[in-house]
Amino acid sequence: MPYLGGKETVKELRRSLSNPNIQTDPLRYRNAVLRVIRAMSQGLDVSDLFSEMVKACATVDVVQKKLVYVFLCCYAHLNPELSLLVVNTLRKDCLDPNPMVRSLALRSMTNLRLPSLVEYVEQPLTAGLRDRAACVRRVAVLGWAKLHQLQPETDAAVVNELYGLLRDPDPVVMVNCLRALEEILKEEGGVVINKPIAHHLLNRLKECDTWGQSEVLRVLQRYRPQSEDELFDILSLLDSSLVSPHPPVMAATLSLFLSLCSSLPAVSQAAMERARGPLLAACGSGSREMRFTALCHIQLLLRSTPGLLGEHFKRFFCSYAEPVYIKQRKMQVLVELVNDENVLMILEELKGYCTDVNDDTAQAAITAIGHIGRSYSDKCLEILTGLLGLKQDQITSAVLQTIRDLVWVCPQCSDTVSLALEGCQDVLQDSQGRQALLWLLGVHGERVSSAPYTLEAYIDGVRSETSVELKMELLTSTMRLFLCRPAETQDMLGRLLHYCIEEEKDVCVRGQALLYYRLLQCGMEETRRVLHGRRCDPSVGVLTGRPAEPIRQWMSSFNTLEPLKHRSGETEAASRGSPEHHASVPKPSMDLPDSLDCRWPEVDHPDSAGAASPYTDPGVTLSLTPAVSPEEFERLWMRRQESAAEREDCLWLEETIRCTAVPRRSPQSLHAAMQLVNIQTLAFTPSHALPWKVFLYTHTLQPDASCSTLVLGELLYTGEAHQNPTADGEQEVKVTLRQQPPDIQALRAFLSILSSVLNTLSPEII
Amino acid sequence: MSASAIFVLDLKGKVLICRNYKGDVDMAEIDHFMPLLMQHEEEGLLSPVMSHGNVHFMWIKHSNLYLVATTNKNSNASLVYSFLYKIVEVFTEYFKELEEESIQDNFVVVYELLDELMDFGFPQTTESKILQEYITQEGAKLEVAKTKVPTTVTNAVSWRSEGIKYKKNEVFIDVIESINVLVNANGSVMSSDIVGSIKLKTMLSGMPELRLGLNDRVLFALTGRDKGKTVVMEDVKFHQCVRLSRFESDRTISFIPPDGESELMSYRINTHVKPLIWIESVIEKFSHSRVEIMVKAKGQFKKQSVANNVEVRVPVPSDADSPKFKTSTGNAKYVPEKNLVVWTIKSFPGGKEFLMRAHFGLPSVENDEAEGKPPITVKFEIPYFTVSGIQVRYMKIIEKSGYQALPWVRYITQSGGTVATFLISAL
Repeated sequence: MPYLGGKETVKELRRSLSNPNIQTDPLRYRNAVLRVIRAMSQGLDVSDLFSEMVKACATVDVVQKKLVYVFLCCYAHLNPELSLLVVNTLRKDCLDPNPMVRSLALRSMTNLRLPSLVEYVEQPLTAGLRDRAACVRRVAVLGWAKLHQLQPETDAAVVNELYGLLRDPDPVVMVNCLRALEEILKEEGGVVINKPIAHHLLNRLKECDTWGQSEVLRVLQRYRPQSEDELFDILSLLDSSLVSPHPPVMAATLSLFLSLCSSLPAVSQAAMERARGPLLAACGSGSREMRFTALCHIQLLLRSTPGLLGEHFKRFFCSYAEPVYIKQRKMQVLVELVNDENVLMILEELKGYCTDVNDDTAQAAITAIGHIGRSYSDKCLEILTGLLGLKQDQITSAVLQTIRDLVWVCPQCSDTVSLALEGCQDVLQDSQGRQALLWLLGVHGERVSSAPYTLEAYIDGVRSETSVELKMELLTSTMRLFLCRPAETQDMLGRLLHYCIEEEKDVCVRGQALLYYRLLQCGMEETRRVLHGRRCDPSVGVLTGRPAEPIRQWMSSFNTLEPLKHRSGETEAASRGSPEHHASVPKPSMDLPDSLDCRWPEVDHPDSAGAASPYTDPGVTLSLTPAVSPEEFERLWMRRQESAAEREDCLWLEETIRCTAVPRRSPQSLHAAMQLVNIQTLAFTPSHALPWKVFLYTHTLQPDASCSTLVLGELLYTGEAHQNPTADGEQEVKVTLRQQPPDIQALRAFLSILSSVLNTLSPEII
Repeated sequence: MSASAIFVLDLKGKVLICRNYKGDVDMAEIDHFMPLLMQHEEEGLLSPVMSHGNVHFMWIKHSNLYLVATTNKNSNASLVYSFLYKIVEVFTEYFKELEEESIQDNFVVVYELLDELMDFGFPQTTESKILQEYITQEGAKLEVAKTKVPTTVTNAVSWRSEGIKYKKNEVFIDVIESINVLVNANGSVMSSDIVGSIKLKTMLSGMPELRLGLNDRVLFALTGRDKGKTVVMEDVKFHQCVRLSRFESDRTISFIPPDGESELMSYRINTHVKPLIWIESVIEKFSHSRVEIMVKAKGQFKKQSVANNVEVRVPVPSDADSPKFKTSTGNAKYVPEKNLVVWTIKSFPGGKEFLMRAHFGLPSVENDEAEGKPPITVKFEIPYFTVSGIQVRYMKIIEKSGYQALPWVRYITQSGGTVATFLISAL
């Protein structure tokens, strides 16, 4: 259809539509209408023909009617007055003996979306609810939901009638009723699910198609069974849906199980195990979108039950033709599944992906190996250093970045790394990789014999360098190298500082160079203190193996769009740049796409969190959400030294808790106990090390949820002889807390919870 | 669920047809879809869900079309994708092939179908057998006089309408098993599984009640019988017509079948299968001059059986030229657009061994682009044989009128596309 000839076409169409000869011949009339619709779908503006089309809907031909209605629904908002004319025809059609025509008319009437027509639509819709044909009732029920969109007040009588129609013999009418009521009663929290309704829905679940089943199961999540017996009756009734071959039904059932059994972890666990087969089947489904969705949800499940799929790791091996997004997710899952038995096979498989033609896949595989390296560093380093031997720029760059992150966490592998660094600089092309190399050379310079020569090459080329980050990294690395190998580095450091201070245009680089220059003026000791101050503290071991999160952390987003939105590239992006700025626990950040309307269960049921934590002081409720990433924690914690202004918007408190024994022998049980009262522990020192430290955080909530504060804390046990030994040999744990915004009452309440946890725990441990 | 609108786009991103179901997302948002897709593809972040502002696009690609659902809610992703695939399924049943041309040629039906499939963002009637009763391709057929109300209204059996009549009552049962085997370069089997399906072609009158008996190990264990070969099935999926509760309780597969062709059930068997056709290959690449390929195929199945239409696909470098072949049987062909040599053998008896040699020239200027090492794949079909040994023991057909009906059974084993061997290359 020529766009330019649009006017001509419209004119011609109008002529044929208003031609009495054509109007009398049904077939030709329909053809004329057809041409209008065709023009419309091709993007031509045919809204001018509105009045002719309104006339064309007065016909006995159902197909023509349908076409005209498609046209009208598309353009009604442009011609609200003329649309009034259609209403008459539509209302007449609502009384047609043919139920198909009745439902068509009702549907079109509600699809016009004109507020001015609401008064004319209400009466046929009410009649439609009582129509004897189910297909009309289906449309009428949803019609009320559409009407609600136009005009927010809906008559209570209609709502009652809709509740009544939940018992309609037709399952689709029943499900549509649920959908409509959910929409109409959104403000009040959706349709009310009491015992009779819940049982009715459960009994009729089998009659519904898969769409309906998913809907019903979703709505049922709001139901709270009154007794344990009832709960188990429901669960056994739903058991067959849990292993349903349709992924949406299975996911909805699992979601329902998890929400019903939130207080019975063993049952939730059993449900997840039961759903394992269908979940794995969904991961192998024919459609890649479904596979992707299943993988994303498996990632959620693994956050709480890391051992769920350990032995099925082979199912997550990538096949040659899969798209990158699936491969990346599969690798992320594989990383989670690693255990002593399968680690060799998984690494062998991942190694194969590292040389994939697709750079993104290769990079994801290398990153995955790096993650596994946190627990199995020797084997992974062997693979990674082997990859350096290939001398491919992309691979070398990715490997170096991975190694950099790995060394930060596992300082014990520095020796192997130092050996591997020789000769990498010639291969590297991109600035990310070169930055990683520079950082490694700076930190491990004393062990890499060629380090000064490599840096010198970079310093000689600094004039033509464009990346600001690289120049800053170069400055720091040269400074560090200077500290351990002054004789070889002094000259080039001088040149570099001179260039950066005198010639460099970028303010950041210049600023940093000036800083270092002045630092050097303060003397070597001062410089050493600053530059080595933030080295990884080997006594703070990162928790190996993430602690299992409670299910309700992710429960609300299960079986929705949200898990898919968690960018696969996020963890990688977070590890760019020096590890000092991005700590390295691969904790999936909980940042939510702000547009998704997902609510935290704590907000929904403020009492549930309280009920689950027996120690909670009634004056305050603790909550783990929003989660604080280790990086964020570190950033906030480090501010302590910084400024006085900081001290105004937050509160620092140091206290001593006495307990019979410090529970440092068993980080797992301490972690579990803290989780129970909604305190998240982030990192422990190894149990035998002294001083022994634990970092933790939580949020305090006032009972009315009016104000919340973030509390970060550090437990410190020095193990020294007590200054004032108490009679029964109690030990002292020093607690440092940071609260933002300040609320001393909440903080005191938190402190009492904390001390009660420590005191409850300590006798058990000994 | 709630998809706000559904779009069908061509490869350039032009809207072919669309339907606004909820009216809470601006229809013009779709203009962002194609730029987003391209941008993500470039960054290597392509994913089946993309967002622009607070609008989320969930999309699938089918032949030369994109099917896109938009929403601004945190809707149920797996449901939306299943619905999009359902659309593809329904359209395919209507138009044989779903592609740009068929949408343009049948836009009236497409509009009608979109109207029935979904209302206000919720899936409604999605069973194509039912839809076909009141939405027909030849619109002329749908005269005013014909006011047939779909049987779903009566709520009896939503997948079969009443009053079907056949002169000769017959059921054809096809048991089709595809095997997927992945072999790595060292010749060890990495993974293997069997995906089976039982397809029906029902030509039965009235509302017949069918019962299917298989040599299912669980069933045999239940009834205490222990003779003959049995199989353990995993991930069994049934057509909605099968009464799941009965299967759960006593493993009986009983159902009222849909009319015509349908897939009754599918299953997966996770066992170690040795590759039915074993491939060994030696590929020698002499840079700047030539590639020499030697492929040996060996039938590792019973001597009585014959594999039909065997196709061995051997990847070759994209810049190869001047092919020369020598085969002990069948013929080989070079498919330059796919960078493959396809060696076809019409019939391949069990226990036999065949050989193919190929020779290609390589240009003296080397191709810079790195190429992946795609696996060698084998396609074949073996009739009258199932790898798993699954058997249809009986098919009982009961109908009120008491007619006699004949069941016919056929077994076929196919390759599931990935009987793959990685290259064993020298040099």
